[in-house]
Amino acid sequence: MTGRIGMRMLGRLALNGAATLSMAYLLLPLFFVTWLAFFAQEIPSFPPDGYSLKWFRAVPGNDRFVSGFILSLQVASIATLLGISIGVPAAVCLVRMKFTGRELVSSLLLLPLVVPGIVLGIALYVFHVETEILTEIPILGSIGGLIAGHVLIVIPWTVRLVTASLVGMDRAIEEAAQSLGADRFTTFRRITLPSILPGMVAAAMFGFISSFGNLEMSLFLVGPGRTTLPIAILQYLEWKIDPTIAAVSVLQILFIGVAMLLTDRFVKISRVV
Amino acid sequence: MALAKAAGQRDEDGRTSILSASTLVGPATIFVCAGLLLPLLILFRYSLNRFEPRRMMVEALSAENYLKFFSDPYYTGIFWTTLYVAGLCTVICLVLGLPLAYALARTQTRFKNILIVLVVLPLFVGNAVRAAGWMTLLGNKGFLNVTLMDLGIIDAPMQMMFTEGAVIVGIVAVNLPYMVLTLQSVIEGINRALEEAAFSLGAGPYEMTRRVLLPLALPGLLAGTILTFILGMNAYATPVLLGGPKFKMMGPLVFGQFQLNNWPFGAATAFILMSATLVLTATANILVQRRYRR
Repeated sequence: MTGRIGMRMLGRLALNGAATLSMAYLLLPLFFVTWLAFFAQEIPSFPPDGYSLKWFRAVPGNDRFVSGFILSLQVASIATLLGISIGVPAAVCLVRMKFTGRELVSSLLLLPLVVPGIVLGIALYVFHVETEILTEIPILGSIGGLIAGHVLIVIPWTVRLVTASLVGMDRAIEEAAQSLGADRFTTFRRITLPSILPGMVAAAMFGFISSFGNLEMSLFLVGPGRTTLPIAILQYLEWKIDPTIAAVSVLQILFIGVAMLLTDRFVKISRVV
Repeated sequence: MALAKAAGQRDEDGRTSILSASTLVGPATIFVCAGLLLPLLILFRYSLNRFEPRRMMVEALSAENYLKFFSDPYYTGIFWTTLYVAGLCTVICLVLGLPLAYALARTQTRFKNILIVLVVLPLFVGNAVRAAGWMTLLGNKGFLNVTLMDLGIIDAPMQMMFTEGAVIVGIVAVNLPYMVLTLQSVIEGINRALEEAAFSLGAGPYEMTRRVLLPLALPGLLAGTILTFILGMNAYATPVLLGGPKFKMMGPLVFGQFQLNNWPFGAATAFILMSATLVLTATANILVQRRYRR
């Protein structure tokens, strides 16, 4: 008997050890990039000569990263707004209404998450080329084209998360509201909307963050002289690694971390991912 | 009155449901069709065209780009490397992900939410930023080499950056959160009493995992495995930054062909990558379901 309990305790110990190792592995790159950002010398060699904050102070003066950050922010905000406003009605419809081809539409709306980012980017690029030839609208490399691409990323997150919050909701509450005299709009506003709000907040967050961090697709859609923050980081790293890029990375980690913690106050992240 | 109104509404629902459904789901559907399906169709059409160095792309209807890919050992080599790296990374993710997912699903501490945020954060920080972390760790004067030399284990720095190993380490870190989150949500749905029952019937932790937990978690295992494999096949930033110019995978290859202005071949490569991924994941899905459904 003690042997078996001992085995269970041993098993628990092994489990927690392995889990801690995996967690450490996940956080290791973030830890090292943060460490590098505080180095005094420019070359990333260990042990550091000393520590300094000068790389952080230099970031606001770096045009490439600042303009990249602003562009990423603008694109992600607008794309999230647009994606939410067409994604939420679609999600409500997919859960609440029965129509032929529902499964097909549902998988179509989730498709942008499955298509590889590189392929998505190339496909949009050739699409823009063809559209420009056909209509002479200068869409290639335009900010509108970039945003349209990012809306494609926000839609599947919206559909997925809002659908999930609707499925968990008791339909009878809506029916009760309607039988008590509320019309469809009032029912939606007073009953449905409040209960899918956490799902919408989560969708907005996930949509925003995946748009903000999108790299592969954006590579093909940015015009000359225009870069998003992830592209600016990638291009710098292809050239060299130093505390400057590490400081930029740390600021991005902080930005996204704060966004996640703020969202976590509205809706528990552990319940939506 | 209210009853009559409700009845009227229901009547109306029946008649106008197709119309109202299409106004709700229509915009998103049209957007994805026009913004994704149509572009993919055009891309496929491009892959049947011919490339001529001076005239760039010439209209044609041939499979020569696909034949060129599969008859050139350089390209098939990249294809197999990609398959191998994606497969190996998926296996490592399973082994590393299961304990963490289980611990997260069963933990009762109030820090659970923080722990989940810590798993999701690296996911959202972006591949390039995480690659920067690995570069700091694995470089010739990086932490690992310097520490190993200080300890007297090696005399000269080992070449760790720009190797297959570095790429695998990087991709595993990128894909692990997806695996953990998928498994965690499935394990949370498994009734804990079943595990307790196994224990009280005399099973050890290993027996319980093998005979109770894993069969019940199979759908999640399958979903997580497929997702990780797809992400591994499509990796771009990690092989570019940690593998360097010499180590090639399919993602960077596709991008490179477009930079060389060879659109038809680039398009064909993109479709080979997508179809290989689709076929393999669909086959895995069918095989596993057949084996366990009896």
